[in-house]
Amino acid sequence: MNNIIEVKGLKKVYGNKTAVDEISFSIKENTLFSLLGVNGAGKTTTIKMLTGLAKPTCGDAVVCGKSITENIDEVKKMVNVSTQETSVAPNLTVRENLMFIDGIYGMGREEAAARTKEMIEKFNLEEVESSRAKTLSGGWQRKLSIAMALVTDPEILFLDEPTLGLDVLARRDLWKLIAGLKKEKTIIMTTHYMEEAEELSDEIAVMIDGRIRAIGTLEELKKLTGKDSLEDAFVEIAEKESEVVK
Amino acid sequence: MNKTLAFCSRTVKEIIRDPLSYIFCLGFPIVMLLLMTVVNESIPEEAAMTVFEINNLGPAIAYFGLTFVLLFTSIQVSKDRSTALITRVYVSPMKSSQIIAGYTLPMLLIALCQAAIALTASYVVSLAGDKAFDIINMAVCLASLLPSMLLLVSVGLIFGTIVNEKAAPGIGSIIISVSGMLGGIWMDVEALGGALEKTAKILPFFHGIKAARCALGGQWDDMISPLAVTAVWAVAMYILAVLVMKGRLRKDVA
Repeated sequence: MNNIIEVKGLKKVYGNKTAVDEISFSIKENTLFSLLGVNGAGKTTTIKMLTGLAKPTCGDAVVCGKSITENIDEVKKMVNVSTQETSVAPNLTVRENLMFIDGIYGMGREEAAARTKEMIEKFNLEEVESSRAKTLSGGWQRKLSIAMALVTDPEILFLDEPTLGLDVLARRDLWKLIAGLKKEKTIIMTTHYMEEAEELSDEIAVMIDGRIRAIGTLEELKKLTGKDSLEDAFVEIAEKESEVVK
Repeated sequence: MNKTLAFCSRTVKEIIRDPLSYIFCLGFPIVMLLLMTVVNESIPEEAAMTVFEINNLGPAIAYFGLTFVLLFTSIQVSKDRSTALITRVYVSPMKSSQIIAGYTLPMLLIALCQAAIALTASYVVSLAGDKAFDIINMAVCLASLLPSMLLLVSVGLIFGTIVNEKAAPGIGSIIISVSGMLGGIWMDVEALGGALEKTAKILPFFHGIKAARCALGGQWDDMISPLAVTAVWAVAMYILAVLVMKGRLRKDVA
């Protein structure tokens, strides 16, 4: 499998705070890669840099063959993101929200209508397709938010804390959806839920204080730390001062 | 699909689906039109107070409605900035100029419709009296409000960009009050004279309303000067709005 993302020494400094500290990793095509860490670990900042929402202080990343420092406009055409906070237009219906995203990506009307229909079916949004987004429950809004990220048919889908704030049923529902998506898309997901990373990830990077402390499959991380669960492995990695990158 | 049009369409839907838009942009100005018309009936002729006569009141009410478009522009921009929806827009291939146009064009369209409806309501009132509006003058009056529309939308864009969604309604209300008093909507600023008149003439509101009143009265020569002042203000404020918004966009993705 080819690497679709190559991150090389990416760093982001805000004032005196180093949010991301020269991280390097690669992600294979059509896999789900999780950035796991506690709040403030630098996961969201990493996603922001990879999607053009923040400029790296130094370093670079090649996304779908394009450099984020030199060709961010080209990168933007190939990626999409579902943010931590639900990001829908409240007074637009579900269908209109999807069409809106197609529109701002410059998609033709017919193609947009076809993609919108496909997303409504894929995400089982039929029963709410004519409802205004602000009237939907948190779970439905999050589903719509992910559908809006996928409607442009991106090469890479970034999911920033996709189940944050959802109840257990809505979370499980979204897990099924994400598990289905990873067969056809490369997904980069940030999460601080261990069971989420455990359930969905092909590969996991543990981020602590802006640095990647360990990276590997679930089994590799367990083996590396000699622990039986990801949570224990995470704690072990977090408490170690030296880096234990695979 | 054109990216700017897609964004414009979203902005229009967000505004027109909010019932408060109708209450403030249409309902409130029309209530004020009717109320001030009744008040005007009670003003004795010897008072020589003409500010509430329909030929003066009509254009002023249209302008008054436009100040609420300023309010809604600032609320919409600040609200979008506070939600993650704008993050989607930043991640998309849209350019900053397309985003700015995506706010400006729909708000100008809404402003145009709002002014046309307010003038039509005033026309209906004018039919009941002995000063029925001339249709051509009405059209010129509407056209004379175009620079004011750009000006007020620009001010809305600026405040929507620099303040948060909690502060935006407050700032908008202050501007509505200032434009109402110093613009001469509710009082004859020139008759009051003094510092008030000088201040009013420094600000653009007075000139915008005067141009609209002259246009409706068919005094087109008198309209040119205040219209030119308003147009200069409008262009300057729009340039400032573009600079402020571009600056904010750059900061947001720094």
